Amino acid sequence: MSLTNEAGHKTNGTPTSKPLSTGQQILNKGAQMLQSFKPINQMTQHACTFALYNHDMSRQIETHHFITRLNQDFLQSAVYDTDDTNGRLIGIEYIVSDAIFETLPPEEQKLWHSHAYEIKSGLWVHPRMPEMIAMPELKNLAKTYGKFWCTWQTDRGDKVPLGMPSLMMPPQSEGAGVVKPEVVRKRDEEYKVSKEDSMKSRIEIPEPEWINPTADYWRQHNKCFEVDVESTEINVRTEYS
Amino acid sequence: MDPVHASIHPEVPGEKTKIGTSLVDTAAAAIQSFGPTKQIHQHLCAFHFYADDMTRQVEAHHYCGHLNDEMRQCLIYDSPNADARLIGLEYIVTEELFLTLPDTEKPLWHSHEYEVKSGVLFLPGVPGPVERKDLEKVAKTYGKTIHFWQVDRGDELPLGLPQVMMALTRDGQLYPSLAKDVESRYGVSFEKERENRAYIQGPVHGIHPKANAAGVGLQTVLREIDCKPSGPEPVHRIFV
Repeated sequence: MSLTNEAGHKTNGTPTSKPLSTGQQILNKGAQMLQSFKPINQMTQHACTFALYNHDMSRQIETHHFITRLNQDFLQSAVYDTDDTNGRLIGIEYIVSDAIFETLPPEEQKLWHSHAYEIKSGLWVHPRMPEMIAMPELKNLAKTYGKFWCTWQTDRGDKVPLGMPSLMMPPQSEGAGVVKPEVVRKRDEEYKVSKEDSMKSRIEIPEPEWINPTADYWRQHNKCFEVDVESTEINVRTEYS
Repeated sequence: MDPVHASIHPEVPGEKTKIGTSLVDTAAAAIQSFGPTKQIHQHLCAFHFYADDMTRQVEAHHYCGHLNDEMRQCLIYDSPNADARLIGLEYIVTEELFLTLPDTEKPLWHSHEYEVKSGVLFLPGVPGPVERKDLEKVAKTYGKTIHFWQVDRGDELPLGLPQVMMALTRDGQLYPSLAKDVESRYGVSFEKERENRAYIQGPVHGIHPKANAAGVGLQTVLREIDCKPSGPEPVHRIFV
């Protein structure tokens, strides 16, 4: 059974023009049968949570992460705006353990965020998966750090991805990081989950003893980040140009 | 003589996945649904270079799904193997849709005509005649590619800023050693495909002069800005 609110998502910003033609569907089917999709088949988890644009934290979106584990300390995820088949690919998030995070230079660490609050508060859920089964993974995740770039601002109605990627932040307990209750309520109703119940069931998950203060940069420094693009000289293969 | 240009795959640091963790992954994979990724129906191999450095060229494995006839969205990996690193993404739009983009946006997009006609872009495992049916369409499209993980410089982890990537636009740009490496691994011949694809046409209106960064280099910069909204909600006062 699909619990997705289709009407709510499919109309908002999706390029409406032409549905996929029959010819293209046949081509796609053919390619699909002949080709292999090993990296895609390695996606083993679907997580739903929320993200805030670092350059404007009042813009808060629901995100769907399709996650692949490369090893115990490293996850990579494709992020979509819904989990239905029309979901738009809006970005990529990388997740590393605290051990890996501590090896990064500070200039790099400031682009990353902590996950403890998002997990402990019940915002991050694995749709359709019993909380009991997810618990060991939630314990792992509470100590991790993430780096999330959003490439398609579907929340502002962009029909096509425009501009440079935005650095995203998870909700936090205070200030500009507080996620709007209505954003959470909408998700909870769609997936028949409850942030409050999840929070209670996760009381046992230990708070990390140390969250590196260079992560979640905005909290300590009250400064946010924006990526811009500038024109420059291009290094070419001079022997051919 | 070229230095050796070949695809490298740095080892990602970390411990081997623990059994408990892999059990959770197995359970999740069985119980959960993977809606949007089920739409991925095509594996496309090509090369990207950094928008400010054509000498850094990356073998890119695109796994694409159609959102509709006008747009595809692709995940980009550094290899077609199970342990592949997710290094970026690409959006592909028709010429028609590209032309509706604001002029400030167009330079971030690249044309696909040369990649298709030169034979370097291919669908591993798909026979030529079937492949060409789709490439007839791809040749007219524009793509926007962002990489987040610079595996070509040996990064074991995704470090630094997102990078705008561009595609080949003429002969002599691609390193022959990189080309040969890919041709031998996939049993394809770019030269032969170039002949087979000679009839394929690019964008109807020609390649837009603003595409491919209008011929200049592009680099990303990080700006530190004031956060907004700043602090607690402002108190609204009514002045009469």
